[in-house]
Amino acid sequence: MLEYASYGLVLLALGAYVLLDGYDLGIGILSLFDRSDQRRKEYNELIATAWDANESWIILAGVALWAGLPGVYATVLPGVYLPLVVMLLAIVLRGTAIELQSAAPDYRRGWGLVFGISSLVATVCQGLVAGGVLSGLPHRGGVFTGGTRDWLTPYSMLCALGLVAVYLLAGAAWLQDKTTGTAHDRAGRLGRPLLVAVAAAGLVLGFGLRVADPQHLRFDQPLRATLFGLAVAVAVVCASIAWYGFGRRPDWRPFVAVAGTEAAGLLAIVAATAPVVVPPGLTVHAAASPHGSQLFLLIGVGGCMPVVLTYNIYAWWVFRGKFAQPTAGTEAAVPSDSTTAAERPTAVASATEDGPWAAVVVRRVLLTLLAVAVAAVSQDIFGGVRAWIDPAGVAVFSVTALALWIRSDRRSAAAGDFNLQAAEK
Amino acid sequence: MASPAVVEISRWQFAITAVFHMSFPALTVGLSVFLAVMYTAHLKTGNPLYLQIFRFWKKIFAVGFGLGVVAGTVMTFEFGLNWGSYAHAVGPILGVTIGMEVITAFFLEAGFIGIMLYGDGRVRPRTMALACWMLVVGTLLSTTWILSANSWMQDPVGFTEVNGQFRASNWWHVLFNPAFSYRYPHILLAVLISAGWFIGGIAAWYLVKRRALPFARRTLSIALGVLAVLMPVQLYVGDATAAFMGAHQPAKLEAFEGNWKTDNNGYNLLVVPDTDKGENKVHVEIPHLGAVIGKDLSGKAEVPGLLQTPKDDRPNMWSAFYGFRAMYFTALAMFGMAFAGLVLRLRGRLYTARRFLRLMVWMAPAGVVAISGGWITAETGRQPWVVYGLIRTSEAVSHLSLGAALASLIGFVTVYALLLGLWIRSIVRTVRTGPEHLVTDADTTVHPPEVSHA
Repeated sequence: MLEYASYGLVLLALGAYVLLDGYDLGIGILSLFDRSDQRRKEYNELIATAWDANESWIILAGVALWAGLPGVYATVLPGVYLPLVVMLLAIVLRGTAIELQSAAPDYRRGWGLVFGISSLVATVCQGLVAGGVLSGLPHRGGVFTGGTRDWLTPYSMLCALGLVAVYLLAGAAWLQDKTTGTAHDRAGRLGRPLLVAVAAAGLVLGFGLRVADPQHLRFDQPLRATLFGLAVAVAVVCASIAWYGFGRRPDWRPFVAVAGTEAAGLLAIVAATAPVVVPPGLTVHAAASPHGSQLFLLIGVGGCMPVVLTYNIYAWWVFRGKFAQPTAGTEAAVPSDSTTAAERPTAVASATEDGPWAAVVVRRVLLTLLAVAVAAVSQDIFGGVRAWIDPAGVAVFSVTALALWIRSDRRSAAAGDFNLQAAEK
Repeated sequence: MASPAVVEISRWQFAITAVFHMSFPALTVGLSVFLAVMYTAHLKTGNPLYLQIFRFWKKIFAVGFGLGVVAGTVMTFEFGLNWGSYAHAVGPILGVTIGMEVITAFFLEAGFIGIMLYGDGRVRPRTMALACWMLVVGTLLSTTWILSANSWMQDPVGFTEVNGQFRASNWWHVLFNPAFSYRYPHILLAVLISAGWFIGGIAAWYLVKRRALPFARRTLSIALGVLAVLMPVQLYVGDATAAFMGAHQPAKLEAFEGNWKTDNNGYNLLVVPDTDKGENKVHVEIPHLGAVIGKDLSGKAEVPGLLQTPKDDRPNMWSAFYGFRAMYFTALAMFGMAFAGLVLRLRGRLYTARRFLRLMVWMAPAGVVAISGGWITAETGRQPWVVYGLIRTSEAVSHLSLGAALASLIGFVTVYALLLGLWIRSIVRTVRTGPEHLVTDADTTVHPPEVSHA
């Protein structure tokens, strides 16, 4: 039973990822089709506060798979090597583009383009990965044994298209919730055509699975058929709510409905294929790690999950409501470069304070010797004589340094070295 | 079995991505502590200088943290991409450890980084401080779990093997393995120290340019103060770590000390090893110093040589020796600079000694160099094992074609070189722009009102 819990954990993380980073990626793709620089910057800022947290879910999905079902991890990752590597590179570039765009005071077209294109590439690659896994990967003894292009099937390409549609839909729903004005109206209008596309993709992929999946999907089992039917029904209901909600108040409704559709869709796939994770024939039982590891994983991760969810919801709460440009004028209006310059050009210490030449040399030699001695003691050279000599020496050095630091810091403070207002005048 | 070329390419790929990834936490862990302390100081004293420092360093931190996260995302998948057989064998142990890192640390960081970076003016200052400290907890937890996982690979304990797969027999021993207890303090000090040089180096640049003086003096003083306290401790802890690893992985110590025969009591400064013949073509040494460092004050004890290890089990001397020298010599330079900083402080000249300050600017990346060197020693010195004594690296790789492995290596190298350039450019730009304008409205933003619960 424990292996099903581990599988459930992986699915939970994967579902959260598809839901959360899905809208991120969808907005990234949508930004390619928006001509206003101001809105593109807005899309970027909208995601900047959340992409990191959203992406964490795929990492959790990855490691939960590694820890709970190592057989699947070791088969899938090498099996879908190329699309996965490209997806990772796209995610790297995307995160960079978001951060650098966000750090720049104005809109940077180049970063905007990288953001949009890498979002599209990441989505397509995720679709290829999902499709590649669903159409089966050769494996033996818990590791992949197939070829380089086993993931490239007609079904995986259809999956890529379908996933783009799903993420675009989630992106549009999120935009309706978070924006105002033109972006909001556009998102409302985009929703229904995208919903049609997603429904078409769902039908094609659903029936295509029978052909693509090398195993015989056993819908004659009543439990499986019931669960599958239920999941599909929920997906249809949620999609209908989304259909009704797009372009109507309340603005949060389409996203919640889309989330329901996605979750139900994922459950439908699982209901159809379980207990097989990777066809042909790699089941949850065969791929699972030993009992102790799963127990540790489930207690550790499961115990932390409520805490994680609490602060994730809190972070979401902080940035709730419609997106607004940060009002803090503090960091805008950057005086382009330097030239606050030269406050005290005379402050350079004159060489005469050093005393006669010979004294300077003697002092430097002595100081160098002292430094070498301190370094030698720190490296435990007396450890062979008495074990306590060197740790005691290190403690004395550090405490001395600390005392000198505090004393001189107080003096500097008293002398006004750290006084901001004085310096500004 | 995979071809040797695939093994080699996979090793390069992992090495490059790992060193690249590590250079970000090397700075951001320490920076997060610094930022949290600065923000708290601002809250307690109301001094706008601390707010200026916080806002300036937050900008550099934001980009560095983002790049660190994406590079880290890659790492989580790399264990399985090129190293499927390894992943299958150690998943029940290391998968769980890394899983704990993700759930306790990654999510914590990700949850609060948004508030810390974009929350100024949206949340109460107290909440900002909480977010800063949560980030510190997250980065430290992350360091802890990763070091635990890596140390288990260096010195595996507390496991049983069933059908080629390892499972934990005692989780406590697995997580807090003996290597961890030495290596964890070492890396913890290292990340604090490398952030110290980075902060101090940039502060020194402002002093050299005579810009933003109170800001520069305040940060330089803090950075050098921390460094003067920590550098002797780090030398001590580093020496203990080397002694421990030398006892548990003799081949590593033999390789990084650069001797082949066990007939040398000197300390090698430079070697040109000939791996096939098992001798050094060139070596420059300080006589007797090797023995003294090894706690023999008479200077006679001989440093063990790599010929003691069977040929199939020898790591590459080049990478282990020069990785170690990069770390150790940089550490000595850091120690010397921290010492000089202390002397200058005593003489009241810390903020005006221009030659020292110019040198400080060059020391800004010193900590990252040392950490990279240390990791190269630790990882290449463990070869040919990926899990020491249990799994050979050549047996760990996935079933991959040469073309796929090569293509991904090229992809990673290209993208990462680009990122490195962008990261440096972003730092240079932020530093050039300077902190001066960051508190012009200190009075209005010191205590922003709570956002109304609309």
